Amino acid sequence: MENIQPQTAQNRYDRTMNVKRNGAIKVSNKNELGPEQLSELMINVANSRCKASFAKLFNHFGAKINSFGNQRLHQQGLAMDLVQETMTRVWTKAHLYNPDKAAVSTWVFTIMRNQCFDMLRKVQHNKEDAFGDDIWPLFDSDDAENNEDDFKLTGTLLQHVNDLPPLQRQIVQGIYMQEMTQQELADKLNIPIGTVKSRLRLGLEKLKGFMEKHYD
Amino acid sequence: MINYHPNEQLLALHIAGELPLSMSIAISAHAELCSICQQNLNQLNDAASDEAFQITNSTAEIDTDMSDMLEQLMSTTLDDLDNYHGRAEPDGVDHVTIKGDTFKIPRALRQQVNHPWQGIGKVSRLRLDTGEDKARASLLHIAANGEIPEHTHKGTELTLLLAGEFFDEFNSYQPGDFILLDENHQHSPKTIDGCLCYTIVDAPLYFTKGFSKLLNPIGELIY
Ligand SMILES: [Zn+2]
Repeated sequence: MENIQPQTAQNRYDRTMNVKRNGAIKVSNKNELGPEQLSELMINVANSRCKASFAKLFNHFGAKINSFGNQRLHQQGLAMDLVQETMTRVWTKAHLYNPDKAAVSTWVFTIMRNQCFDMLRKVQHNKEDAFGDDIWPLFDSDDAENNEDDFKLTGTLLQHVNDLPPLQRQIVQGIYMQEMTQQELADKLNIPIGTVKSRLRLGLEKLKGFMEKHYD
Repeated sequence: MINYHPNEQLLALHIAGELPLSMSIAISAHAELCSICQQNLNQLNDAASDEAFQITNSTAEIDTDMSDMLEQLMSTTLDDLDNYHGRAEPDGVDHVTIKGDTFKIPRALRQQVNHPWQGIGKVSRLRLDTGEDKARASLLHIAANGEIPEHTHKGTELTLLLAGEFFDEFNSYQPGDFILLDENHQHSPKTIDGCLCYTIVDAPLYFTKGFSKLLNPIGELIY
């Protein structure tokens, strides 16, 4: 987690600036969570399919998404649809979330804006197309789901494998040292292949983080 | 080097999700080729998310609806989603082939290539179906040593060069260049090696105002 600290501090600063700029008053909410808490919950959802963590994310974002939907879609029913569509994607796309690239709130915003775009097109053109995620990828390095070439690791990076959290270490070692396939690992550990991919991605991102820290 | 970029206003409207599909495709495709604009978009996205999530307007009624929805998700929907493996999201295409040349196309276009190429001589056009009344979006291919006769625009014309090169009376252009010309410009693009562009021909103002500002989509449906 150390490597995301600077970004977190930056977000706090931006948020203060925003409040001043708009003169808006933030309504206090018992469900408000900080960026580190959100990130932890999101990783629990991605790695362990943790429903309790999902519920906390829902309580944090649900009413906010509803407010955004009301501004944008001008119809209460549609705003609730937006909450449903956005939060189910938070669940199904969790493995695409990358804590080193974006705050959870930015990632959820991206999902919400994309869904809202598709919903507006549906209302306007009566088209069931879904182009939002093509235009604003949920992951900026693209195609994280099916691009195996993404997962490349050099010898230098492998020296840091032991510093990884156990669940990520297990996957990275399985793939790169025991040369198992992602499917073999999924079968052996009895977890979905999506979870293997997300742990691998998180592990590799963390390894890159070690590199940047130690060799800059 | 890319010399022509979308301006700040277009980038902000794009992040807000307020541009028509044809224009958001163009901005996304440009950003895929332009790291400067991609960085700007990332920052705008951060700022937009902070702003969107700043305020929660909640009522007792909304709270009840929310907890009902959460209960439904927790009890069945999330498990259903995890157990449902049949959903194949459309991948679309990642390249186009025209006159024997194959070009990689940006991600934003991958579900948009649904029509055949049409053309005369060295100029070929593949019409996109963005469902917009005003904008006409296309892929435009000009073969080596081809040109488009001098023309003016009734409205704004956007040309995003995706591959190859072309030049006109004003400049020469490289892949990624985002060239927005208004009705006062006349030009006759020529290419030596051939090129592939994404183009939109459109009425004035439509692009830069943001479509939800010009017409309330729900209003359009009702009235
Ligand atoms: Zn640019």
